[in-house]
Amino acid sequence: MIFSPETWQITLFSLAVALASTLVILPFGIAFAWLFARKEWPLKSVVETIVLLPLVMPPVSTGLILLKIFGRRGPLGQWLYDRSIEIVFNWKGVLVAMAVMSFPLLVRSARTSIAEVNPRLEHIAATLGASPVRIFFVITVPLAYKGIVAGALLAFSRALGEFGATILLAGNIPGRTQTLSLAIFNYVQTGKDAEAYTLLGITIALAFLFVWGSEWLPRTGKKT
Amino acid sequence: MLLRCRIPLANFDLDIDASFDARVTSIFGPSGSGKTTLLDAVAGLRQVADGEIDVGGRTLFSSVRKINLPPQHRGIGYLPQEGALFPHLSVRKNILFGAERGVNGGNSKDIVMDHVLEILEIAHLVSRSCTQLSGGEAQRVALARAILSRPQLLLLDEPLAALDIGLKERILPYLARVRDEFGIPMIYVTHNLTEVLTLADWVLVIRNGRLVAQGAPRETLLSGQAVMEITEEQLENVFTVMFIDSDKGAGRARVRLAAGPELFIPYLPPPVHRTFQIRVGADDILIGAKQPENISAGNILPGTIRVINVVDGQALVTVQAGEDFFVRLTVGAVTRLGLKEGTPVFLVIKTRSFRVL
Repeated sequence: MIFSPETWQITLFSLAVALASTLVILPFGIAFAWLFARKEWPLKSVVETIVLLPLVMPPVSTGLILLKIFGRRGPLGQWLYDRSIEIVFNWKGVLVAMAVMSFPLLVRSARTSIAEVNPRLEHIAATLGASPVRIFFVITVPLAYKGIVAGALLAFSRALGEFGATILLAGNIPGRTQTLSLAIFNYVQTGKDAEAYTLLGITIALAFLFVWGSEWLPRTGKKT
Repeated sequence: MLLRCRIPLANFDLDIDASFDARVTSIFGPSGSGKTTLLDAVAGLRQVADGEIDVGGRTLFSSVRKINLPPQHRGIGYLPQEGALFPHLSVRKNILFGAERGVNGGNSKDIVMDHVLEILEIAHLVSRSCTQLSGGEAQRVALARAILSRPQLLLLDEPLAALDIGLKERILPYLARVRDEFGIPMIYVTHNLTEVLTLADWVLVIRNGRLVAQGAPRETLLSGQAVMEITEEQLENVFTVMFIDSDKGAGRARVRLAAGPELFIPYLPPPVHRTFQIRVGADDILIGAKQPENISAGNILPGTIRVINVVDGQALVTVQAGEDFFVRLTVGAVTRLGLKEGTPVFLVIKTRSFRVL
């Protein structure tokens, strides 16, 4: 099937930013998951709630909060702008929106699987001389890997489908911040049904691939 | 080593103060008496409220001096009840997991992997995945892993409890070999009397978090009532004997107890090590008030009753016959024969009642 250059651009841009977003949140997601699953610290439940909040809040509300934070006059936006980094209305805004929206999915899945790792194994590893860092990377993460991979896949899919927060933080600028979801919305609004259906087909194909992949991957990866 | 610690638990405080220096020290007590908690405290896996833990001249924990080494710096090997092999690593990687230690509080003695594999007879398992091991194999692999981390002290938490009886009998000799080969002091937690008598040279008896007795195992355990109340399994006598000769046709072998008396046990070919251990159940020994004649039992030993302990209608009779033999009778039998402390008696033991360890 031959796609127009525009379709290609939108698809590849969406995939690339969603992938970047997933890679960026992966280390933080695993770290938070571990902190939630294994450690007790003050205000833990408050932090946990804040991290999970985007899961239940309307994405547009999250987008508005992000806009206030990262806008040129926002607390973080100002600081970044002074260092010539601008988040709003470019691909970085798309990435931030995707990352924030998909982060809770990764953390939740990874937290559950880390909590399921028998702490006795970590204890025994410590008595065998392993440092906490080595225990984390050689025992905890490999044993929790299924949940982490599943969480990353979920996060990636969520990032790809992200709409509400993205449109507020990054806008819907063709060729600059327009993702698959934003473009479909745009095409439908402007009556370009054929283009909208092409993109719809692409999203269905991708979704199929991910669901199938997330079912199939953990089963094959079992070998050591 | 010095073991002085207080740890608040849900139902009681674990409060132990003991100092000992033995090859194998057994911590003996009923389930829920705080034995595993104590091992966790020694390994640094559990918070100790106050006290001091010294191993091999090194202080691992001291509330007064504010010392609390993390587990990875304590140089202590730990074999938990369930083995706790890392399921995602191969047998080889499991065994070598702690092998890099050596400087950090490790034992300086030269412990070589091939030797450990040979002693535990697990060389053929090395290339397998952990999920392909039987219970007894997994336990020996976990033991090899702990030994190869060259620890100053080895903690064993009821290593045989999860295995069935037949397997227990086969694994126990491996533990004895580890004790004799590698010179690593061990603390062995169990509620099985046979294991204490077979392996330990010192025993701490713990109940509800308190140290109720300590000393050499036979004297400490078998003269007191504690044993019958604590032990949940068969009560057995364990003796170290010297091989004399054996007769395949007659189906028996002759051995000598350290104290002198000779015994007949089931046939075995002359063993490599002339000294070994045999066992006989306390329920498998008869007591005769007179010397029996014309009976099939191969062993008739004269002795004197030293102690009679009565618990729940059962009498644990200690008979001095060169060594202390423990015989469990009904109180009815004791009354019928008029047995008292000091009564001269004869012990009757079938040759086939003895088992070689």
